[in-house]
Amino acid sequence: MTMRARARDLGIVFFFVAIFVVLSVSTNTFLRQENLLNILDQSSELLVLTAAITVCIVAGIFDLSIASTATVAAIATAGGVNVAGWPGGIVAGLGAGAALGLFNGLAIGFTKVNSFIGTLATSFAFKGFAIVISGGSVVAIKDLDDRAALANLFTGRFLGAKGVVFFALAFVVVVGVILARSVFGRHVYAVGGNAEAARLSGIRVMKVQTLCYVLSGLAAGLAGIFYAGRYGSGASNSFSDTYAFQAIAAAVVGGTSIFGGAGAVWRAVVGVLILALIGNGFNLLGIDPTYQLAAQGVLIFAAVAGDQYLRGR
Amino acid sequence: MAATPEHDAGTPAGGRVGPAAGPLVEVRAISKHFGGVHALADVSVAFGHGTVHGLVGENGAGKSTLAKAIGGVHQPNAGEILVDDVPVRFSSPRDALERGIALIAQEIALVPDATVEENIFLGVEPRRAGMVNRVALRRAYRELEERVGFGLPAGQTVGRMRVADRQKVEIMRALARHARMILMDEPTAALTADETERLLDVVRMLSAEGTTIVLVSHYLDEVLAVSETVTVMRDARVVRTGPASAETAQTLVSAMVGREVDLTYPPKALVPDAPVVLEARGLCRGSAVRDVSFAVRAGEIVGLAGLVGAGRTETARLLFGADRLDEGQILLDGEPVHLHRPLDAIRHGIAMVPESRKDEGLLLLRSIRENITLATLSEHSRAGFVLRGSEERRARALFERLDVRSTGTEATVGSLSGGNQQKVLFARWLARTPRLLIVDEPTRGVDVAAKGEIHRLLVELAAGGLALIVISSEIEEVLGLVHRTLALREGRVVGEFGPDAEREHVLHACFGQVQELSA
Repeated sequence: MTMRARARDLGIVFFFVAIFVVLSVSTNTFLRQENLLNILDQSSELLVLTAAITVCIVAGIFDLSIASTATVAAIATAGGVNVAGWPGGIVAGLGAGAALGLFNGLAIGFTKVNSFIGTLATSFAFKGFAIVISGGSVVAIKDLDDRAALANLFTGRFLGAKGVVFFALAFVVVVGVILARSVFGRHVYAVGGNAEAARLSGIRVMKVQTLCYVLSGLAAGLAGIFYAGRYGSGASNSFSDTYAFQAIAAAVVGGTSIFGGAGAVWRAVVGVLILALIGNGFNLLGIDPTYQLAAQGVLIFAAVAGDQYLRGR
Repeated sequence: MAATPEHDAGTPAGGRVGPAAGPLVEVRAISKHFGGVHALADVSVAFGHGTVHGLVGENGAGKSTLAKAIGGVHQPNAGEILVDDVPVRFSSPRDALERGIALIAQEIALVPDATVEENIFLGVEPRRAGMVNRVALRRAYRELEERVGFGLPAGQTVGRMRVADRQKVEIMRALARHARMILMDEPTAALTADETERLLDVVRMLSAEGTTIVLVSHYLDEVLAVSETVTVMRDARVVRTGPASAETAQTLVSAMVGREVDLTYPPKALVPDAPVVLEARGLCRGSAVRDVSFAVRAGEIVGLAGLVGAGRTETARLLFGADRLDEGQILLDGEPVHLHRPLDAIRHGIAMVPESRKDEGLLLLRSIRENITLATLSEHSRAGFVLRGSEERRARALFERLDVRSTGTEATVGSLSGGNQQKVLFARWLARTPRLLIVDEPTRGVDVAAKGEIHRLLVELAAGGLALIVISSEIEEVLGLVHRTLALREGRVVGEFGPDAEREHVLHACFGQVQELSA
């Protein structure tokens, strides 16, 4: 068991290093600073979302509504800036994300609907809500100073990297520490590993899972703010629906078990980076991007099959 | 102990031994390993025609693996299996079935949505022009039913039947394929006492008709009651094969464990004149628990006896806040309490070791440490973060106090034996020093040595002033441990017995009027 767990740890890290080395020697552009920073920049939203989704999956729940929540948050941020300046926009974006997460948690907690279907349903509802509040058009930040302040915060460079990278990494570290070290994190593992055992040990399962939804809502809120910072606007098409699935896929590729109760935030980071490196590699090597999706698909499939094998199911 | 030649199968190279008719099935020096773990090492046993052959051993001794190797589920890494003196190689249970060997595994494998007769004849249905011939199917079922006399409704869907009835379907399915040998792996584990008795009657009948039965079981009394031959296994090897008449439960246990084991219960401390800790008044929940009232004093061990479904577990869950009361009142130290969820009960000092440690108790993928501190983590935290040092000290102290056998507190709980897993669950609740501890089937699936340790622990805890409620399907366990036994039947308390109650009297109360006992 422990040897298998170790095999899973080492396997995924070895795989990441292997891709990194292969791309380093087969291209002369991969290792350039701007390429590496570009990969991180483009992965920022997915890093944030995957970290939160990882916590949800470990707790035994899915959140498919994160793309829609992020969309609402992007619109809320732009609208909030127009009402109360750029700090107000950030509060509005995070608040919208947390509120929709709380809605998910309470709706699913009280009805006991399966989380996969439940959040699929709310993802439609939130998308509809996004269209309603945006009036179906782009909500732009009107004040140019606010727009510049937000853009500067998230896309301005510090030590060569954009602001979003630092915010994303900070979020990932905080979530990682919470999952690994806090009492709440322990309860997340317990609830996802064996909900009845957790309940009979005095853990309030619904409370823990609701907090997980709030966390993924906050992550979606942060992604929405990133969007508003990057583009100076929010709209009902800000985030494509595939974001939720990409986040789940990245979590699983990193080695977080789809069955719940096992996983880690560092795995989310490795998973996101592996998928990003594959995409980057296809670009640099000039391979038809059609094959990129196929390769990622095979990888996700292999990750789940490997997890099942190592769990002995 | 010396085995008679008729029953000795310990000579792998020996060919035919004993009587003129050779064995139906013989395994010769087979080995099987999973990764680095030896599940079978150089195992040789012969199974005679029409005999009942018991296979006993502790958890992990290899008895299930042996049954599965003969039944075609596992393929041995070395050695050979002979049927009618001909070496065979089964690559699947289907191959074994073609040679007349059927395995009834612990996990019953039936199609839940199909009917009894469809399941029995699945794959061997009488056909006409490629279609199932329903008339012939019903006729074949009647013929089979006449032979065994189970009285199962042919058209009933299997998924909603009791475990005992589903087992009968499996037995009929084996017979429909003309099985000459039926391997039964723990067939009585989920059965009540009377169902067990009836199953053993079926075993005797099949054996009288010439079918060889291999009975893998934890319950030594059952094995001794029906078997002609018994094979004892320990650590993947055969300890001995011999006539059942030469064995007793005590000799089997000693052979299983490899040393003398004390099967007696620890002496009961005197019933103290202590204050009442818990009082249940008129507890009701649906049809499972009806007007149950009783009290438990500090230091007292109260046993709940009854058949499966009599309301024992359901009553315990009400006392722990795991289920909601329809009616009734729970008083702790004379004060009424409202238990909406287990957390409320835990805060009042109630703890429960649940019936199924895998489904309701443990996080199998997590470490022993995390499992032990699961209910007390807030005591080892500051500002919401876990203090590892403090947590580790507590986990280690309990790990050592309960003598959990493992590489250390960081081992995953899933890698432990049943007895050690149960000790981890006890450790979780002892971390809290509860006032009332409810234990539901505390020694189910636990090896003999750990069972004794758990019994001593329970008595010791009670002597320290803890109020204890013990639920067990093993009537001997209840009577051996408790100061007082409550017999439950159909959700009601139907009898109360003192510390020296007669087994027969308690059973009589549990079964009600229709009592058929064969001691």
